[in-house]
Amino acid sequence: MAISASDIRSALSLPGPSAPSAPQSTLRKAQSQSTSNKPANNFTKKPEGISRELYALIGPSAPSLAAHLAKPRLKQKPNLGGGGKVKWEWRPFKNGARGDSLRLSHWAKEASDSDAEYPFVKYNIQSTPFTYSQDEYTRFLEDRDWTKEETDYLFNIVKEYDSRWYIAHDRYDYPEGPVRTLEDLKDRYYSVCRKLIRSRPWAGDESSKAQFLSSYMFDKEREVTRKGYIASLETRSQAEIAEEEALFIELKRLEQNERRFKKERDELLRTLLGVDSGLPDVIGEEDGPAGLVGEPSSASVKKKKGVKGTIGIGDEVPTTPSVISLGPPVPRRPQSAKSAAQDAIHCIYRSDPPASSTTVQKNTHVPAHLRSFKIPLPKTAIAPKVTQALTELGVQHARLVMPTRENCLQMEALLDAATALVETKKVVDRVEQETRVLRVRLGVRSSEGAEGNEPDDVEKEGDEGTPMEVEEGKEEDGRAQSVVSTRSGRGRKQSRRSISVSSIDTSASLSTRAGMKRQKRS
Amino acid sequence: MVNYGGDEVSALVVDIAIVSSYYGYTANASDGDVQMGEAEPKDDATSDTPKPKNDAKLYLGQHGPSIWRKGMEIGNPVRDGLISDYNPVPALMSHALVDVMRTNPSEHPILVTEPAWNTPADRERMAEIMFEEFQVPAFYIANTGVLNAFAAGKGSALVIDVGHSMASITPVVDGFVLRKGLVYSALPKLVHAHARHILVGSTQTRRGIDLYPHQLIANKSPVEPSAPPRFTLREDRMAGTTESWKTWYENREVDEWVQSVAGVLDQGWNEQAAAARQPRQYEFPTGYNTYFGPERYQVGEQFFYHSPQLIASNPNLPKNVPALLSESLRACDPDLRQVLMGNVVLTGGGSLFSGFADRLETELSRNFPHVKIHAPGNPIERRYGGWLGGSILASLGTFHQLWISKEEWQEHGKAIVGQRCK
Repeated sequence: MAISASDIRSALSLPGPSAPSAPQSTLRKAQSQSTSNKPANNFTKKPEGISRELYALIGPSAPSLAAHLAKPRLKQKPNLGGGGKVKWEWRPFKNGARGDSLRLSHWAKEASDSDAEYPFVKYNIQSTPFTYSQDEYTRFLEDRDWTKEETDYLFNIVKEYDSRWYIAHDRYDYPEGPVRTLEDLKDRYYSVCRKLIRSRPWAGDESSKAQFLSSYMFDKEREVTRKGYIASLETRSQAEIAEEEALFIELKRLEQNERRFKKERDELLRTLLGVDSGLPDVIGEEDGPAGLVGEPSSASVKKKKGVKGTIGIGDEVPTTPSVISLGPPVPRRPQSAKSAAQDAIHCIYRSDPPASSTTVQKNTHVPAHLRSFKIPLPKTAIAPKVTQALTELGVQHARLVMPTRENCLQMEALLDAATALVETKKVVDRVEQETRVLRVRLGVRSSEGAEGNEPDDVEKEGDEGTPMEVEEGKEEDGRAQSVVSTRSGRGRKQSRRSISVSSIDTSASLSTRAGMKRQKRS
Repeated sequence: MVNYGGDEVSALVVDIAIVSSYYGYTANASDGDVQMGEAEPKDDATSDTPKPKNDAKLYLGQHGPSIWRKGMEIGNPVRDGLISDYNPVPALMSHALVDVMRTNPSEHPILVTEPAWNTPADRERMAEIMFEEFQVPAFYIANTGVLNAFAAGKGSALVIDVGHSMASITPVVDGFVLRKGLVYSALPKLVHAHARHILVGSTQTRRGIDLYPHQLIANKSPVEPSAPPRFTLREDRMAGTTESWKTWYENREVDEWVQSVAGVLDQGWNEQAAAARQPRQYEFPTGYNTYFGPERYQVGEQFFYHSPQLIASNPNLPKNVPALLSESLRACDPDLRQVLMGNVVLTGGGSLFSGFADRLETELSRNFPHVKIHAPGNPIERRYGGWLGGSILASLGTFHQLWISKEEWQEHGKAIVGQRCK
């Protein structure tokens, strides 16, 4: 690789031979703004942080960003505040918490203020104890058990030990006084304080006074009882403690057994009865002995009585047995006002057992179930027809996405309407068939007149069907559907004898769909 | 400086104990660390002639009582933890502070420790010595129980302090001793006497052991274990040896035997367990050496259990540790018992007895459900807990308002000691 003179020059930042040696001021200027191309002086200094070879390639038209690139450096050493020496001196200081003129000495920075307050003085906090005058004592604080001198002594000692009661009690030694327990001392002290607070004028409002007063509450009886309990706990003998332990373990074992029995029983029930056993599919962890004891017995009672009923519980899906057993299903009995109010609070809806659309009508107990399990189904005989009709109408009924109470009602109404539609269609077909047979019997005589009457009959039947459906479905759409399908059936009665309701006019189906949408939204 | 709450004022901490007194010099700490200057063990209480003679020459320190001198008597100002004789105290203090530590007492505040059962008169006397003879600028006297709790980093604790002559249990709450719960007994003395009895008394297998100190033995030759010793005494010294010096040295020999051989079983007395332990060999200054088997565990058993025969024969038997504990706790409020049992601090040189901490733990956890024992593994911390706590206390910034200054002493007199040092 040949190194030219210009390379060396640029490496050493010497001005090129062509350029006249620039005066010092221009050179510095060129250094400072190397990227700006100066036509007057085409010598520019290589900016910092860009290699010489690269600069030779791209020339002075290097992007301005390159000028900011700094040379990579080692990580900066942390500045630990070293460097400058700190001078310390042995200096006497004044402790503000002391009452005398003792000057102890300590090491302090020479620079620090020698008159500054001693930093530990702020921790010297004195409590402000209650004091009382002779007058106050005679008016409020007289007590048969306590003399004024002993009360004074008590207050002094409490003040001296900053209300450390254990120590105050330990050091309490009033000459010729009766032996006082810790509770005696506390009781006397706090009762005096309470009396003083009550009798003195209070600056703040009543609530703050009551709050302040409550901080001086002391229930001697309760304290004594509590300490008695603690002492009795401590005086238990080794054998008693062992017995307690054994009893506790026994109890735990019994509980565990109980739980296991219940689990096995549930298992059995579920195997025998399936969903009708009324047990949730997923077994939640039983969390308390209360639910453990209470639930199965009540369930068995219900089962024995054979009460028929269904509970629909609001928006929440019942998972724990205690929630299910919350509402006793007694459907025939009128609800009391209390339970009704409770139901309203807890969003519980009680529904009568579905009479029309349920497949199985057992005379046995209808246990609690998820609403989505009991979505009404069409009668098995005509189920395929109903399904077909609904599919042709473009209604997805197979799966109810959100089986809320309202939606279930809507679903039921829809199925009712569809069933009615299919039934009506059947009737129409039968009548038509009869008509045809009669016509054949009549022969070819007056065939024109008979044909002219028939549509009216069918029309009439369709009209008759409508109010019936309104009764059942209470839905405008139900009627629309039935009317439409009836008409279509009539329109095609001659061509086909199928029960299919395939060809409906588009406008009607559209309106139906819109209606369904509205239903679902509501 | 404020961050850790310390403010060093170069106070001296003097912990007067029966075997040795420890005095420390909390050296200056410019940026936080409390550095321990010197903490030099030193035998404290020795005066060579009976007290009445004021012109007696005192030998103090490491080379004081342990060296044989003609006609030298041994004395000790401390009896049962209390200073019973104040005459040698100034000399001892002066030796410690001036001769060994090379300090000028009039420049340093001094914190002195006292046992929890110290009398008001004693602490006033100590204050008087400090102010009047040493001209200290400030003085404070603190309770060893409290200081041991501080050394363990606790404000409330049940301090079990087993010393050389006294075992005490001190309930400390919020840095104050509960005086009603304070119990103590001369239990270590009983253990010592029992150990001495084992050594000196002869059994079927061996004769009583002579406890002559090295200083009285001219020469000896090695012998087989349990063989009679072959040694000659220094007859020239025998005549000048005083009874008190001899007793003191014999006691030292017993103590050394106890420290190196004796122990306590951690699960209570059990003949088989004691027999199963390895016997330990020990050689006395006379050259006599032998193996000590189960008998070495009988020594420690005295701390925790007294046989009915012993109780019957000795009505003034010092209470053992479980008895002391139950007595102390009975005097405390039921609310406090749980707190105290959760903060048991084991301290004192006597607690270094082999197996003591384990046995204590067994005894306590048998009777109390939640026991936590704080027993420093470091023997220095265990022995000098009082000094350590004093050093901590004297370097606290908030403590400096509690010093009794010379000015206050002159103004209020002795009464200030009782008022300030609660």
